[in-house]
Amino acid sequence: MPIDNLVQTVCTVLCKTLTPSQAEEILAATRPRSVPAESVVFREGEEGSGLFLLLKGSVEVVKQGPNGLSQQLATVDAPSVLGEMSLVSERRHSATVRATTDAEFRVLGREDFLRLLERDNLAAHKLIGAIAEVLARRLRRMNDMAMELLGRSDTPPVEEMARFKQKLFSEWSF
Amino acid sequence: MAGFEEVNHYFRRAARIMDLSSHVERMLITPFREVKVDVSISMDSGELGTFIGYRVQHDRSRGPMKGGLRYHPTLDMDEALGLASLMTWKTAIVNLPYGGAKGGIAVDPSKISERELERLTRRFVEQIHDIIGPQTDIPAPDMGTNAQVMAWIMDEYSKIHGFSPAVVTGKPVDLFGSKGREEATGRGVVFAMEEFLKDVGGGEIKGKRCAIQGFGNVGSWTARFLHEAGARIVAVSDQQGGIRNPEGLDIPKLLEHARHAKTVVGFPGVDSISNAELLLLDVDVVIPAALGGVLTEKNAKDVRARYLVEAANAPTTPEADEILTRRGIQILPDVYANAGGVTVSYFEWTQNIQQFTWEEAKIAAELKRYMSEAYATLSRVARERRVPLRTAAFIVAIGRVGRATTLRGL
Repeated sequence: MPIDNLVQTVCTVLCKTLTPSQAEEILAATRPRSVPAESVVFREGEEGSGLFLLLKGSVEVVKQGPNGLSQQLATVDAPSVLGEMSLVSERRHSATVRATTDAEFRVLGREDFLRLLERDNLAAHKLIGAIAEVLARRLRRMNDMAMELLGRSDTPPVEEMARFKQKLFSEWSF
Repeated sequence: MAGFEEVNHYFRRAARIMDLSSHVERMLITPFREVKVDVSISMDSGELGTFIGYRVQHDRSRGPMKGGLRYHPTLDMDEALGLASLMTWKTAIVNLPYGGAKGGIAVDPSKISERELERLTRRFVEQIHDIIGPQTDIPAPDMGTNAQVMAWIMDEYSKIHGFSPAVVTGKPVDLFGSKGREEATGRGVVFAMEEFLKDVGGGEIKGKRCAIQGFGNVGSWTARFLHEAGARIVAVSDQQGGIRNPEGLDIPKLLEHARHAKTVVGFPGVDSISNAELLLLDVDVVIPAALGGVLTEKNAKDVRARYLVEAANAPTTPEADEILTRRGIQILPDVYANAGGVTVSYFEWTQNIQQFTWEEAKIAAELKRYMSEAYATLSRVARERRVPLRTAAFIVAIGRVGRATTLRGL
């Protein structure tokens, strides 16, 4: 992929506030990786290997449920980003990512990223900010879901009774 | 026997089809009131006898609660609760203006004297008189109790609350009882069976070969009414054993024999047969009319009758029910089939309230009307929803109890 396109991809999917030269600095710290179709990119429970910039192809995100069965959480098409949480915390990968087509990545390893930060690299700081924003958005969505679940156990009996009554006089009247 | 979980098995099946939420389901299942009382009396020997009495009132949305009092050594709260909820569904299925209740005393009435039985009954009424009543909860006879026990209950209750014949049903005919109450369940079984056979393509009762397990109140009256309707009763049994005659038993003579001998065994000119064999005879209709749980996953595959009429309560386990249904054997379910008893109890209560007596012909005609109307609804729901009659019965019951509950409001 020509460098101009790469820079543009970094700016759109990773961090909109990066200048082209800052995007190039980030890119310089990454190494390319190709994964053939049907191969695993990283596995749930493995040590976090860094941020994966998906440049070409498609992958699926799979997570093992409590009953041991794997459940597909999402399919992701290029251009996109995966594993961004492993940049800011030392957690293991929370899901397995498998290439469904031949896929090309740029991988920013955690070590390389930390080195950039130590050098007070502005691009790395901007990237942290972008990731924080993504996480904040996710947290807000989780909070809404939690509120909805909590609220649900409070009100339903009354509403359910109303629905039950309505049903008894329509569908179940005899 | 009929524990709460067994009753709820069929309830839940219907609830799933009606897509009830778990809250609504729980609300319909949970009993209104459970009462457990100490019933202590002085025995004839001068010793103190301590017994436990129960009354479970399951649901009162459709009217005063109704259900039997059982005197049986193994009675406990779970059984009383299961039977009480069954009464809620049963009264709703035949559309009587009642809710369900059940209770009794954990005692073996055959082990105590008549005077002890009377003291026990009166003491029990003292303990529960404030939760029963003609407009609250109306007990009736059940296993181990009879018209005399009901007479004592009426007398004891009336001492406290004033003259109240309508507080119990199943009283002696000479003390505000109803004509036709004793034969009510058997008569109802035959009315039910008539509608059922006509509906499922079995034709009329006349000429049908029937086997009846049990020759107590329900079994013997069922035999008599079936005989009168022209059926051929080829086998009957009781606790002592069974008898069989492929040509058909002479029912009037057998009733006479059983009245003296207290058993069907020893009736002349017949083959003997066990209770287990009776259920598997190659007949048109098999009618368990005594114990629960007699058709199980072990023998259901060997049933050869085409129709099963459940005159007893819960004669078929859920596993057997599934096997029989899969084999295409048509089942007339207990919750409807044996509802004639409580229906005539209702007539007794209305006569007590009216202070007016009905002739037996009117009792029989009204019973037939209630059983026919109930069957028409069950059959329509079964057909429309493509479910067995038992599931249809529970759907009808849940619908009626649910409508009453929601119209009253929470």
